[in-house]
Amino acid sequence: MSRLDPRIHQVLDGELPPERLAPELRAVVLRLERAAGLLRAGPAPASVADRVLAALHRPETSRARRVLQWLTERHVVTIAMRPVWSLALAAILATVILVPDHGGAPLLGAQEGIARFVGHFPGARSVDVVGPFTDWHTGVVALRDDDNDGVWSAVIVLPAGTHEYMFVVDGERWVADPLAGRYVSDGFGRQNALLIVRPVSR
Amino acid sequence: MSGFADAPDADVIARILAGDGDAFGILIRRHEAGLLRFATRMLGSADAAADAVAEALIRAYRHLASLDDPTRFRTWLYRIVANRCKSHLGRRSAQRVSLEEAAPVPDPHDEEAELERAEQLGLVERALRTLSPEKREAFLLKHVEGLSYEEMAALTGERIPTLKMRVHRAREALLEALKEHR
Repeated sequence: MSRLDPRIHQVLDGELPPERLAPELRAVVLRLERAAGLLRAGPAPASVADRVLAALHRPETSRARRVLQWLTERHVVTIAMRPVWSLALAAILATVILVPDHGGAPLLGAQEGIARFVGHFPGARSVDVVGPFTDWHTGVVALRDDDNDGVWSAVIVLPAGTHEYMFVVDGERWVADPLAGRYVSDGFGRQNALLIVRPVSR
Repeated sequence: MSGFADAPDADVIARILAGDGDAFGILIRRHEAGLLRFATRMLGSADAAADAVAEALIRAYRHLASLDDPTRFRTWLYRIVANRCKSHLGRRSAQRVSLEEAAPVPDPHDEEAELERAEQLGLVERALRTLSPEKREAFLLKHVEGLSYEEMAALTGERIPTLKMRVHRAREALLEALKEHR
């Protein structure tokens, strides 16, 4: 590899004014600057903001709940152990259940997709989205209206498939999303909105 | 929040650490273009770059409290992205990326000048990919992302003279590769 004249590096490092270079050396500087300029101005890549925020807002299934779920499903489990080991196992299980989970989950599983909830609620003080994915509880997925224009939104990761949901305005008013397009009866005379989440194609 | 969108990184970070996790969106939108550009040039693939940047941003969010100096958030982010890129490169070191795969696809509606620009960009990208990951990183951080040698030193953990030498060698290698790809 041929070495460049050191003055070229000095100019590119801002240690020497370009006027001090002979034209042929300045042409080399321009060539490198043009290459960098092309790389800087290439096509703008697609934003990852939604994907990241959705992953950060993924409704967490608690570890205790996952263990409970596993325990209530059908499994064939055969364990033969001395009593002292069963105590150790109990201690390990307690640790797994009680120690909080600090993430490390993958961004999006193969069977997960991004769900965006948007609603127009001018004057609302809070808007939550609830569904089976929050156990129909508020305070899990809150929508935001950062510019106070009455449009509230949230982006979260959900398992692919169909999800029923409702908006809860100001913690008390349950509203079926008027823009959902699909609805299903909740069995109590009201309609839940339906959302279809498709797995993110890679 | 709208007024807060212009606040310095350190102020936004303080707000996040105080419990407003959604303010992280401000930081993402502020820095992702540069991070994605850097990762795309490092990896030669927009998809791989999006993965690396998204992983890095999530990692940054989860470790935000461990950032000693919030005024250096940008440099810290680049460091995390650079490490993610190295991991990605390490994972696929056995498989060579075909040059065609990552070559820019010009829009058929583009003007002639735009096509020529895209062709030249493709040439530079191919030349860049012949550099070692260290030289590529050094060139991109210095000349494309506009970092100072001090910032690069904070980012890579290398000494400034080492980085200067690496940038110099990267420039020479790039020019050489550009000649070969003409």
